[in-house]
Amino acid sequence: MSDGLVKILDGNTFVVSDSRGDIEASLTDPTGLFSFDTRFLSQWILTVNGQRLTPLSTDDLQYFETRFFLVPGTGTVYVDSKLSVIRRRAVGNGFREELRILNHDEKPVDLTIRIDAGSDFADLFEVKDALKKKGTYSARAKEGRLVLGYQRDTFTRATDISATERARVDKNGLTFKTRIEAQDEWSTNLDVVTTVLESGRGREQPTFARPRGRQNMEANLKRWLDDAPTLECDWDALRETYRRSLVDLAALRFSPPIMGRRSLPAAGLPWFMTMFGRDSIFTSLQVLPFAPSLAATTLRALGEWQGTVVDDFRDEDPGRILHEMRYGELPAFEERPHSPYYGCADATPLFVVLLDEYERWTGDRRLVHELEYEARAALNWIDEYADLMGNGYISYKRRNEKTGLENQCWKDSWDSISYHDGRLAGFPRATCELQGYAYDAKMRGARLAREIWKDEQFAGTLERQAADLKRRFNRDFWIEDGEYFALALDGDGNQVDSLSSNIGHLLWSGIVDKAKAKAVARHLLGTRLYSGWGVRTLAEGEGRYNPIGYHVGTVWPFDNSFIAWGLRRYGFKEEAAQVAAGILAAADFFDGRLPEAFGGYERTLTRYPVQYPTACSPQAWSTGAPLLLLRTMLGLEPVGDLLVVDPALPVGIGHIALLDIPGRWGRIDAFGRGRVSVDEKKGLREPAARG
Amino acid sequence: MSTRRKPADPTAEFFGGLVEHQPNPLLEKANGTIRFDLREGKRVDRWLLSLENGEVTVSRANGDADCVVRADKALFDAIAAGRANGTAARLRGAMTIDGDVELIVLLRRVFPGPPARSARRRNGPRQA
Repeated sequence: MSDGLVKILDGNTFVVSDSRGDIEASLTDPTGLFSFDTRFLSQWILTVNGQRLTPLSTDDLQYFETRFFLVPGTGTVYVDSKLSVIRRRAVGNGFREELRILNHDEKPVDLTIRIDAGSDFADLFEVKDALKKKGTYSARAKEGRLVLGYQRDTFTRATDISATERARVDKNGLTFKTRIEAQDEWSTNLDVVTTVLESGRGREQPTFARPRGRQNMEANLKRWLDDAPTLECDWDALRETYRRSLVDLAALRFSPPIMGRRSLPAAGLPWFMTMFGRDSIFTSLQVLPFAPSLAATTLRALGEWQGTVVDDFRDEDPGRILHEMRYGELPAFEERPHSPYYGCADATPLFVVLLDEYERWTGDRRLVHELEYEARAALNWIDEYADLMGNGYISYKRRNEKTGLENQCWKDSWDSISYHDGRLAGFPRATCELQGYAYDAKMRGARLAREIWKDEQFAGTLERQAADLKRRFNRDFWIEDGEYFALALDGDGNQVDSLSSNIGHLLWSGIVDKAKAKAVARHLLGTRLYSGWGVRTLAEGEGRYNPIGYHVGTVWPFDNSFIAWGLRRYGFKEEAAQVAAGILAAADFFDGRLPEAFGGYERTLTRYPVQYPTACSPQAWSTGAPLLLLRTMLGLEPVGDLLVVDPALPVGIGHIALLDIPGRWGRIDAFGRGRVSVDEKKGLREPAARG
Repeated sequence: MSTRRKPADPTAEFFGGLVEHQPNPLLEKANGTIRFDLREGKRVDRWLLSLENGEVTVSRANGDADCVVRADKALFDAIAAGRANGTAARLRGAMTIDGDVELIVLLRRVFPGPPARSARRRNGPRQA
């Protein structure tokens, strides 16, 4: 890992340690064993005869399993290189660590092996914001186990640590004294189990947890990879990126408690291993041609949690799709609103978009029937609750002024919505892409109403509303002299006149008048927005442009994947291929794992993509980006019961075959050859010469 | 201006309301039984809810159920009246669920929201 930290996970249980396998967290440091948004171990330090260890190498065996090869001693002098220490750690219900010590010497050795263990039981939000705890801690050593506990009223969490070898247990850890004969070895298994105590009854996991068995995880990963289409191509890097994406996607699967074994994509590691409306929907859309089951679970889970009441603390309205669900102490005591929090303006229309796209791919009409109520409620939310200005546009303004989100669009940092001169726009803000999503939701909702719910009248109403929205939007958001759409309308209804990547999402949604599309495409691939690697979030020359500003100049792979899809929708095949080529070339620099964002520097200037400093990785919608780009380049589009393939691939990519694409047609293969020449300075790196 | 009294038993009123307003489309996907064991001092106030395709039956029987909810009566009264949030109570361990959790997430959809202090509909309010 680029940050020197080793991460393994299963669902929302994960371990972040240093390269020795040790955990030494401070309140603000993200290492530890985490489960359901609580840190269950903040200290886990191995010493042998009082000495820390030095890592020789780390093996990432699987996303849920790592092996550390160590020798005693630190610094440049190895005190005793006659010993090898191997820690093999797998996440499951907490984690299990197999500790092996090998004596390579010709004489026996006496060792004191010590694990120092401790927990601050921090809520993830506390780790992020460095808050103080309000409950009380306990540590009990009994019958060879160490139980660390935390209690605040009825909220209790505990970490139960035990070993298969006999240990002397105290409140701060476990000590083993052993003699290892010449050329012999010693080993023990350390089990760390995360526990919730409810009403005096012990449980191994919160009731909301359904851990997968460790032994099944390997088989499960294999099945997951086998189920996905096979990619054959001349470009090695793309094959590597594809495989990396599928494995990371497997790791990012999260089964919400209500969904049994079915899973949806969580947003990212380590901070975002939970259900997010926006991220789960976008990722499900990206990977539909590859793993359609994720979309079904996303729709079901978000549907069940759909808002039903007006609740200002949670920014909840009837019909609104949730933003984020959390399980830790702060939401439990309503010090944070994530139980769940609904403050996002795009997930609700996108819910309808995903439902339609899912049916178009899979032909699963049953789910569309099952979610008719929820889809109608979502469509109703757009007109009934989201039009804060009464001007016919979705806009947002948080009602929870203390802990709610200011920006409820995907660019959710504080400075993301600014005018050309750099001033921040006032609230409510109606960002342009929200109107595109609303348009698309109405159009797709109309199709579902007509074809599946058999409600012609509702279909007609939605189509009329959509047509009206499109007409008004192309008038009110269009900046005549710049020939692009404004980033937003501000609280006074005035245009927020920055040039931004958001206009690419407008192409994806279909809200752009045909006559205006060419100008939009020209901007997206123009020098102000296009860096050579991808489309910047904010154009060079805008007041707040900063090539390493989170939403004001960096390039987001997820953003670009939807922009490419949008370009294809309006027939700009070559431009879409160009965007795909740039992002996939960047992926190669990150060993196939695209970060959340990278710097917006000109490609010719840096020659490699500069990773955004604190981006989290792997992140679901970055993981999904190469998959959507593949779909886009191959021009995969379900039409009735057929899958249309219309490839437009960049030259350098060579030959591509995507085999066994699942859908309503059963399984189908798609082939393509790179024929679109992209700008050499901007396009693909040459593929490795093949013999 | 109306000065509504606080209902004497919000829990009873809530369950009564469920029976009154049915079939409820919000409960169509919830099929099964939920038992509520609500502690009130040494007493346990017991409710058995049976859900089938949006149809609701309520009894005070003490029988097996697909899902068992345990909480203090006072807390459940507050949830039933919209003064407390059930999901947060669950996360806190103040309300516990045994069995089919999905049933309780679906039932969550028919609990009232917080009292309408600043709460208002955004646009073109429709009177319920």
